[in-house]
Amino acid sequence: MTQGDRPRESTAAPVERLRESAVSVRDLRKSYGTVEAVRGIDLDVSAGEIFGLIGPDGAGKTSTFQILAGVMAETSGDVQIFGRSPVEARPAVGYLSQAFSLYLDLSVAENIRYIGSLRRLGVSEIDERGDHYLEMFDMLRFRDRLAGRLSGGMKQKLALVCALIARPRLLLLDEPTTGVDPVSRREFWDALAELSGMGMTIVVATPYLDEAERCGRLALMHQGRLHDSGTPGEVRRRPRLKRIRVRTGNLEAAERILETASGVRDTQRFGDSLDVMVDETDGGEAVAREALAREGVDISDLRTEPPTLENAFVAVLRSLGGEIVVPPFPFDRTRSPVQSGKVAIGAYGVRKWFGSFQAVDDVTVEVRHGEVYGLLGANGAGKTTTIKMLCGLLGPTSGDIELAGERGSLRTAEVRSRIGYMSQKFSLYDDLTIAENLRFFAGVYGVPRGERDRRISWVLEASGLVGRESLMTSSLPGGWKQRVAFGASLMHAPSVLFLDEPTSGVDPLARRALWKMINAMADRGVAILVTTHYLEEAEQCNRLGFMAAGAIVAEGSPTQMKARMGGRLLEVQVGDARRATLALREAFGSQRVSQFGDRVHVHVDTPVEIAGARIRGLLAEHAIDVARLDDIGFSLEDVFIDVVNRARDSGGRETA
Amino acid sequence: MKRIVAQSRKELTQVRRDALVLFLALVLPQILLTLFGTALSLTVKDVPIVIQDLDQSAYSRAYADAWRQTLTFRVVDLGLDEQPSEALDRGVARAAIVIPHHFERDALRGVPADVQILVDATDANTANVMRGNAFGVSATFARSQRLVAPLPIDAEARLWYNPGRDSMRFVGPGAFAVTFALFPPLLAALALSREGEQKTVIQVYTSSISAREYLLGKTLAFWLVAVLQWAIGVGVLYFFFGLWFVGDPTPFLAGTVSYLFCCVAFGVMVGSAIPNQAAAIQAVQIVGFLMSFLLSGLIFPVANIPASIRWISYFVPARYYIELSRDAFIRGGGWPAVWHIPFVLAGIGLVFLLIAWKRMRRMQVSA
Amino acid sequence: MEADATNAGVGVRTLGGRLAEGRLVPLFLKELTQLGRNRRLVVMLVVPPTIQLLLFGFALNPEVTGLRLAVVDQSRTPESRQVVSAFASSGSFVIPAQFASAEQAGASISNGDADAALVIPFDFAERRVRGDTATVQLLLDATNANTAAIAGGYAARIVESLNRSLLAEVPRAARPIGLTTTVTLLYNPGLLNSWFITTGLIGTLLVLVGSLVASGSLVVEKETGTIEQLLMTPASATEIIVAKMAPLLLLLTADIVIALSVARIVFDVPVRGSLALFGVAGILCVLSGIGIGTFIATFTKSQQQAQLMGFFVNPPIALLSGVVTPIEAMPEWIRPFTLVNPVRHFATISRGVLLKGAGLDVLYPHLLALVAAAVLLVGISAWRFRKQFG
Repeated sequence: MTQGDRPRESTAAPVERLRESAVSVRDLRKSYGTVEAVRGIDLDVSAGEIFGLIGPDGAGKTSTFQILAGVMAETSGDVQIFGRSPVEARPAVGYLSQAFSLYLDLSVAENIRYIGSLRRLGVSEIDERGDHYLEMFDMLRFRDRLAGRLSGGMKQKLALVCALIARPRLLLLDEPTTGVDPVSRREFWDALAELSGMGMTIVVATPYLDEAERCGRLALMHQGRLHDSGTPGEVRRRPRLKRIRVRTGNLEAAERILETASGVRDTQRFGDSLDVMVDETDGGEAVAREALAREGVDISDLRTEPPTLENAFVAVLRSLGGEIVVPPFPFDRTRSPVQSGKVAIGAYGVRKWFGSFQAVDDVTVEVRHGEVYGLLGANGAGKTTTIKMLCGLLGPTSGDIELAGERGSLRTAEVRSRIGYMSQKFSLYDDLTIAENLRFFAGVYGVPRGERDRRISWVLEASGLVGRESLMTSSLPGGWKQRVAFGASLMHAPSVLFLDEPTSGVDPLARRALWKMINAMADRGVAILVTTHYLEEAEQCNRLGFMAAGAIVAEGSPTQMKARMGGRLLEVQVGDARRATLALREAFGSQRVSQFGDRVHVHVDTPVEIAGARIRGLLAEHAIDVARLDDIGFSLEDVFIDVVNRARDSGGRETA
Repeated sequence: MKRIVAQSRKELTQVRRDALVLFLALVLPQILLTLFGTALSLTVKDVPIVIQDLDQSAYSRAYADAWRQTLTFRVVDLGLDEQPSEALDRGVARAAIVIPHHFERDALRGVPADVQILVDATDANTANVMRGNAFGVSATFARSQRLVAPLPIDAEARLWYNPGRDSMRFVGPGAFAVTFALFPPLLAALALSREGEQKTVIQVYTSSISAREYLLGKTLAFWLVAVLQWAIGVGVLYFFFGLWFVGDPTPFLAGTVSYLFCCVAFGVMVGSAIPNQAAAIQAVQIVGFLMSFLLSGLIFPVANIPASIRWISYFVPARYYIELSRDAFIRGGGWPAVWHIPFVLAGIGLVFLLIAWKRMRRMQVSA
Repeated sequence: MEADATNAGVGVRTLGGRLAEGRLVPLFLKELTQLGRNRRLVVMLVVPPTIQLLLFGFALNPEVTGLRLAVVDQSRTPESRQVVSAFASSGSFVIPAQFASAEQAGASISNGDADAALVIPFDFAERRVRGDTATVQLLLDATNANTAAIAGGYAARIVESLNRSLLAEVPRAARPIGLTTTVTLLYNPGLLNSWFITTGLIGTLLVLVGSLVASGSLVVEKETGTIEQLLMTPASATEIIVAKMAPLLLLLTADIVIALSVARIVFDVPVRGSLALFGVAGILCVLSGIGIGTFIATFTKSQQQAQLMGFFVNPPIALLSGVVTPIEAMPEWIRPFTLVNPVRHFATISRGVLLKGAGLDVLYPHLLALVAAAVLLVGISAWRFRKQFG
């Protein structure tokens, strides 16, 4: 316990430090040969802040971080870290690079000891601090485990411990949670909130917009420039948009109608609802109701909700250009669309053992034609093994699998010609041009010769790469590669589509284009199975399956899933979120309280009124002002974390 | 210094953890050492030859027996209708002895009978040795038959240091040196390029360790591994090759310290320059190993290398170490013969480290 | 050689006909485009083999010249000086210094200042005059057994020719001549070691480069995950592996041409037999290499692992082949292992064709062995690949 109290000494750092500038950047530029990665950015971060840098792959975030950390020289511009040059400031900076910067063949304790000794710390000091942080992150029992045997989330927490060991005043985190499952991500961010509360300055890059919500301030980075910085609230409100959520039985028709309705700026389809963005000043709800009624579409529910960060960023990115219009797929007219409703992918009691390790345990799934099914789960939950078995790449130990009407011989050329597959890693050949890649896949899938050119130009159009088809694939940013790879897996008009994390590293606009294509495919009767880490994205699936420890622990539509959660989620906006979090945790338990920037989320079981009163009372006792208290409803992430936690408790299996 | 030790300790822990690396470090070098030692010998035995005896006399048969008695040759039968040269064409024999008609008669009359020997000179060195042997066999035969008066001059050859002309004794120390030109630099280069490839080096850059400490730490760790390899290697030399120090081992020990340092430093240089493990392996293999194999006097003396490329051998550490280990295990010349070698090796090693340091000293991502 | 390439092409096409040509063509084109674009690969195919051929050809020179001979002339007579000058003018020995005693000469050998010593005793001239055999002593540093053997041979020949010229002065009847030996060197009369080395080394290079390139091109697909994408297409594992191997084979055929050109142009290696036979043997060698590489690739996850695995395979292939050193110099127990080494058989064929002008009638057992090795290696690796991914 005394250990736990130690860092607080530095928390008690004088208040004026909060005003101190931690990072000051003026007109920073970085070029690699002729490519300009950072094109003149200005950035100010005050001490004690959590500052988020949001942006797609290739936006220049990593270059910026490496310059701030003093491990790369800038091309021009002025950078000051606590008033010193980045190289001089190195001892005061902890940097977590994007790749896991751990030695996987060293144990947890050895990693910490090595990094600590590089930082001129004594052995006893290292062990003491290391144990303290390990305890703080609930990892003390894994001290002697090899880093390579930790889960993704654990690895990142260990990397954080290593970065913290020298007690840096500034922490630079470059996409620390990419590839980390939601449960670990939430724990990681809880830890960040705690560190920030102790006075540490944190600059963090993330592609997840839900994480961006947890920053004090944030900025969007795009093509080497910064756009639109401010607190999450400011950023959300800035485009002056209203979000209207429409629920209806016929989403396809509703989207078609509302897309072109006057005053509608944007639509986005989800698994069982449709979001419509309208100008703040417009009538909003009324416009949507009228337009739908005119076409005779029934509305089961329609309400106005606050815009999300994603809405805001999409608006910003659109204003910067780069909107991708997805043209309709040039289907072979002679082939009738597959009949919707028939089972396309079926798994019945499927198990998979690797030696003595059971990777998949009794999975039963049915995906029908015309359905988008999302498979969600933490790393190591068995998602990839399941998808590999479903598409025939891996034989199950026991159980039956049905694929495109076939059972047993899933590996025949005939079956595979009806299947589209996009694997987790980039599945294009880097050393071929885009056109060569597409021609190759068209050829090997036996797309009729007469059709090839048409389909290839469709992929180019749909991925916004017309005229650039002779570019080398390796020269494309990750997001673009994903789009081309996705297009390539569709060229042969498959009736079943497997997408293993298709959107990692893709910016929001491209992600939406991708989902438009997915939805268009589903409308044509294609059965789609998709895995993803982005739970916001999972909302766009018709049905979801949550996997934990190799088994599907929950299944249903996004709305059904949320309905399973007991209780409500309340968002409290307060003056001192840090203290409020501590106070509320004492009352509700730390699992149920999370800090999101200047807001605190509390998961309550009692009715909203009673719980609200209790929260207000508690905060009043601590003399904390409550600015707002909203019933915001659960996100899929909340559901996911709850389900996984419950599965973990009941199964007694350790996911580490 | 503390950080150098910390760096070394980390490297050693990693070596200990990785089964493949451990195997590469401790077992494979010894396997290769024995393989080199057995496969690189030039001393031929049982070379197949054919004899065509056109004389078929007691005298000619005795001459043929003289060939049979040598260890170098093994007489195989010549096919019935086969010409000796055909046996060479077919590759069943490496040399053919043709004993002429009237061999016995001429010899008894004191008329020189000319024995024709055809040698397959494809393998130039073996052919050269066979040619020398051929003269020897004939001379010995003539003397043993007492058909000759004493020769005016006789040369009595005495072989020093390796009287059995056992080529394992010669190849062993050379193979020993070349083995260490491959594995310690390989491990060191892998350890450095891996940090570059997996970007863990960025974590090192952000700390306050200097390039000097980082490189010395790595060098120290792999030098220690190399010493362990070396010690096992000496065991292999003793048990497999039957070699042990002759004379004063101190120059050899001093040279070993420098040589292993030099080899590891080479690996450190390669690894710090190439942040890609596969490419680093290639570089060590092609530059380090090939040079040591070819330009060090391992198989044929350095003096035989054409002068146009012989100068390169001065920069090949194995060249010096081979000289040193042959001296230590066979000749026993001691300090007067090899005093300069430890210094030369240490100097080359320092140059390698300096180059690595020049590349790393900013401790920043180069872009 | 072109004819052989077409043969291979025909083989692929008949296989292709069975395996639905439509899919094999795009696979094949894709591999070809990738290989063509890979600058590093092109460099790898040309530069290291050329450099290695040059280095091995030039550096491995067994010719013993300029042996340093420490002379101890205790006789100091015209007769003894005749011996010394015979050695000095032979071209094989140089005489850096004369010493007063055998001990001093011995010390200069042990310091590495001399390679051999010639000791002419006090009574040398007296014995000559008396008509007895006068004996000189030759001390050889046998540290290098091979050099010592050759030096001994040189000394014997010098003494022999000296004897012959001395005997020419005595009456014919007293000449102690029993026989003369005439040695004819066939195939390589100039005793050029480069002819021996390069003709064999071509095989080593073909196998090693073939295995490196093949394992590289397959492991890259595993590393980047594209292999899964490929396996999800209707293409079968057999089609994939055939399409991978065929372009490599074509490309590496170029290496046969390059290597032979270097041997021919730089080292003046003769071509006395059928180039077609040489080409077929080369292609079989390449196939064996591709088989080995593919086999390694099925065991490894990364390029670096594949290369480290190579350390277990490459040294035995290179060393137990009779390419650098004669197989007759290896210990008895290890010689059978050379029989399963494709490089050994290639070396025999290559030397037979190029240096001896031998034909298929003589070399067919080695060609059959090469065919067996290639079929076995390609077969096993394709089988493993299919088992892993089929």
